[in-house]
Amino acid sequence: MFIDIQNMCFNYTNSSAKAVEGFTFSVQKGEVISILGRSGSGKSTILRLIAGLEMPKCGSFTLAGKKIFDDYTFVQPEKRGIGMVFQDYALFPHMCVADNILFGLPKMSRHEKMKRLKEVLELVELEGFEKRYPHQLSGGQQQRVALARAIAPQPELILLDEPFSNLDTDLLVKIREDLRRILKKANATAIFVTHNQNDAHALADRIIKIKDGRIDQVGRPCDLLGIPTNDEVELELLPEESQKELVSV
Amino acid sequence: MTKDGFGMMRRISNVNGWTIGSVLIIILLFVPNLSIVTGIFTPPSENWAHIQEFMLLGYIKSSLTLVFFTAIFTIVIGLSLAWLIAQYDFPLRNFMKWALILPLSIPPFIGAYTYHGILNYTGIIQKTLRNQFDITPNPAFFDIMNVPGAIFIYTLFLFPYVYMITRIFLSNQAASLIESARTLGKSSVDIFFKVVLPISRVSIIGGVSLVILEVLNDYGVVKYFGIQTFSTAIFQTWFGLGDLDSSIKLAASLMGIVIFLLVIEWVLRGGKKYSFASTKVRPLPLVKLTGKKAVIATSYTLFIFTVAFLIPVLQLLDWFVLTFGKVPMEEVLTYTKNSIIVAGTAATLIILFSLVIGNFSRITKHKFGNVLPKLTILGYSIPGAVIAVAVVTTFIAIDRFLAPLYLSMGLDSALILSVSLVMLVSAYIIRFFAIGYNSIESGYAKIGTDFRDASRMLGVSGFRTFFKVDIPMMKGAIISGFILTFVDILKEIPLTLILRPFNYDTLATKAFQYASDEKIMEASQASLLIVGVSAIAIFVFHKLLREEPE
Ligand SMILES: Nc1ncnc2c1ncn2[C@@H]1O[C@H](COP(=O)(O)OP(=O)(O)OP(=O)(O)O)[C@@H](O)[C@H]1O
Ligand SMILES: [Mg+2]
Repeated sequence: MFIDIQNMCFNYTNSSAKAVEGFTFSVQKGEVISILGRSGSGKSTILRLIAGLEMPKCGSFTLAGKKIFDDYTFVQPEKRGIGMVFQDYALFPHMCVADNILFGLPKMSRHEKMKRLKEVLELVELEGFEKRYPHQLSGGQQQRVALARAIAPQPELILLDEPFSNLDTDLLVKIREDLRRILKKANATAIFVTHNQNDAHALADRIIKIKDGRIDQVGRPCDLLGIPTNDEVELELLPEESQKELVSV
Repeated sequence: MTKDGFGMMRRISNVNGWTIGSVLIIILLFVPNLSIVTGIFTPPSENWAHIQEFMLLGYIKSSLTLVFFTAIFTIVIGLSLAWLIAQYDFPLRNFMKWALILPLSIPPFIGAYTYHGILNYTGIIQKTLRNQFDITPNPAFFDIMNVPGAIFIYTLFLFPYVYMITRIFLSNQAASLIESARTLGKSSVDIFFKVVLPISRVSIIGGVSLVILEVLNDYGVVKYFGIQTFSTAIFQTWFGLGDLDSSIKLAASLMGIVIFLLVIEWVLRGGKKYSFASTKVRPLPLVKLTGKKAVIATSYTLFIFTVAFLIPVLQLLDWFVLTFGKVPMEEVLTYTKNSIIVAGTAATLIILFSLVIGNFSRITKHKFGNVLPKLTILGYSIPGAVIAVAVVTTFIAIDRFLAPLYLSMGLDSALILSVSLVMLVSAYIIRFFAIGYNSIESGYAKIGTDFRDASRMLGVSGFRTFFKVDIPMMKGAIISGFILTFVDILKEIPLTLILRPFNYDTLATKAFQYASDEKIMEASQASLLIVGVSAIAIFVFHKLLREEPE
C-alpha cells in the first residue's frame, strides 16, 4: 500500500476527550480520498496528524514504504514530502504569486525553477499572474495559487482542508472540476476534507465518513450514496440550488 | 527504555531550540529579582533596626499618599476627558483626541523641574508679578517642592494612561450600551454614573494601575523635591549609609506593597484582563455640542492640554534659546550618542528575546508555554530602585564568582561586569521587557500559526521559516515594539543614575544632573531632545499606526 495508517489516536493537550481514535486506513497511489463529516468531528485533526503538525498519541503511518511515525519515530513535517492546501490558503502575504510557488521548491538551478513555475501556473491556468500579490487575487485564484504552491515540489501526497469553504456556489462547481482535473493530470495522491457530501461525491475516488473522531463508513461514492448515516449530512445531499434556498430562508 | 519514554523523547525533541532559549532568557530576567527575596532572610544590621523603628512607617505613608491622591486625580481627569472625547463633538475635538496623549512624552522629573522653574522666585510668574504689577507674593504660595506639588506633577504627566485606555474602550466597545441608554431617554449625567462608570471599571483600573506603578517607580520627582519615599530611601540607605543589605530589605518591602496592590487590582477587575486589542467594532456616534456647552468642553480640554504639555514645552524652548551655545555641542553629541547606544542595544535585545519567547509560547503544546511568558511581564511592575538593587547584587555575585578567571586573564580589577554597561543594559531589559513583549506577542497572535505550518509543509525547516515567513510578517509589531521600548528607556532615570559606569551620561541623567545643580536652563537641551523624540514616537504610534475608525 502507498499509504498505510494503523490505529492512529490523538487528543489535544487542553482537553481530555479523544479528538481521533483508532483511525486505520490505506490509500493507493493516485487515489483521491475525501474525509467527510460534520463540524467538530475531527477531520482537520486527522489531516494535521498526517501532515505532522500534531503529534499522535499512538499508531503508525508509512508513506511510500517510508516510516513516518510509530512509537519510536516521528518525521518532522518538513521532511515528509507531503503538500497541504490550507482552509484559508495561507498564501504568504509578503510574497507575490511567483515567490509563493518558488518558496517550496528544493535546491535546483534557477532555470529549472522557472520551468517548474511555468508548468504549475499553466496547470492551474494562472499564467501572467506571477507578479500579483495574494490580496490582489480573487478567492478562486488564491485557491489555485495555493494548489499550485502545494503541487510544485511534487509531493508524494497532497492534503486539502475544506478547499471550497470560501467560494460561492457558481465558482464552486467550476473550481471543483478544475481541481479534479489538476489532481488527476498531476497523478497526485490526495486526501481532502469536507463537510459537504456533494464535494465528496464529485471529487473523490473513495470517501471516509468520520463521526466523533472515529471512522463511521468507507466506500466509493456510488456505494455510499443514499445511505446517509446521520441526519445532519442529509441536508447536504440536496442539490446545490435548493441548498442555497434553504440557507437563505 | 519504555515505550512511553520514547514517546516522551519524541515530544521533547520537537521544540528543542526554542524551549532552551526561552528558559535561559527567563532565568536571566527572573533570577536577579530572587536576590531580593533571599535578602529578606539575611540577618538585619543595626541600621535596619533604626530604619524599621523610625523611618519605615514614614516611607509607607508618603508613598501611599502620593499613590492615593495621584490615582484619584488621574481618574477624575482621565475619565472626564475620555468621556468628552468619546461621546461628544466640539471645536478642536479631533486635535485633542490624540494631543491629550502627548503629556506622556514629558517624563515627570522634567515636568517637575520645569514647573519649579516657572513658579520659583526667579521664574516667569513671580517675576512678572513683581516687575509689571509690583506685587510680591508670599513665595510659599508658589512652592511646589512638597507632597501636594509632586501629586500635581504626577497627575499632569500620567493622566493620559487613564484617558487613553478608557477612551479607546468607550468609543469602541461601549457604543451599543451607551446608545441604548440614550434611547431610553436617560440624561447625560445619568448615563455617566449609571452606565459609563460601571462598564469602564476594568479599563479605568487598567489605566490607573499603570499610573500607580509609575508613581512607585519614580525617583526623579521625589528626589528633586526632597520627598522621602521608598525609592529615595533605598538609594540613600545604599549610598548614604553604605548598607546594601538594609536597602535590599527596603526593596523587598516595596515589592511587598507592589504585590499587594497588584492583588487588589486583580480582585477589583474581578479576574478579568483588560485587553488593549482595538478590535474594529462600530464606533459610538458623536453628540454635537453647541453654545455654552461647546465652549466649556473646548476650554476644559484646552486647559488640560496647555498645562500638561504646552506650558512646559514652551518654557523648555524658551530656556533652550536663552542657553543656546552655553552647553558645548560636543557634550550634547556625546550624551545623545550614549543614550541612543544603550537604549538601542537594550531595545534590540528585548525585541530579540521577545521574538524567541513569543515563538516558543506560540508553538509549544505545553501549558507551561503559556505560563512562562507571564513571569517575564512582572519586571514592569517592579520599581526601578528594586531592580537596581537586585541587579547590582547579582552582578557583584557574578564578579566574585568569576574573580579567579579575571585573575588568570591578568585583569587587575575584581569588579568587571558590575562596573560595565552590561549591568545597565541588563537592568533595562528586566524592567522594560514587558513593553516589547506585549507588542511582539500581539504580532504573533495576529499572524497565527497557519503560515508557519504552510511553510513547513513546503519542506522548509521551522528555523528557516522563522526568518523567511514569520519575521517579515511581523515587521509592524517589531518596529512598534522597538519604538515603545526605546522611548521608555530614553526617559528612564533611577536605573540609569545608579547603574551607569562612572562618568557615563545619557540625555536623562544629564538633564537630571543639571536640574539638581539648579542649572535648570542648561537642562533644557537634553530635556527637549527627550520630549521631542518621545512626542514623535507617540504621535507616530497612536496617530498613524493605531488610528481607529471614526
Ligand atoms: N487546538 C485545539 N485545542 C483543543 N481542542 C481542539 C483544537 N482544535 C480542535 N479541537 C477539538 O477537536 C475536535 C475536532 O476538531 P477538528 O478541527 O478536527 O474538527 P473538524 O471536523 O475539522 O471541524 P470543522 O468542520 O468545523 O472544521 C473538536 O471537538 C474540537 O473542538
Ligand atoms: Mg476543520
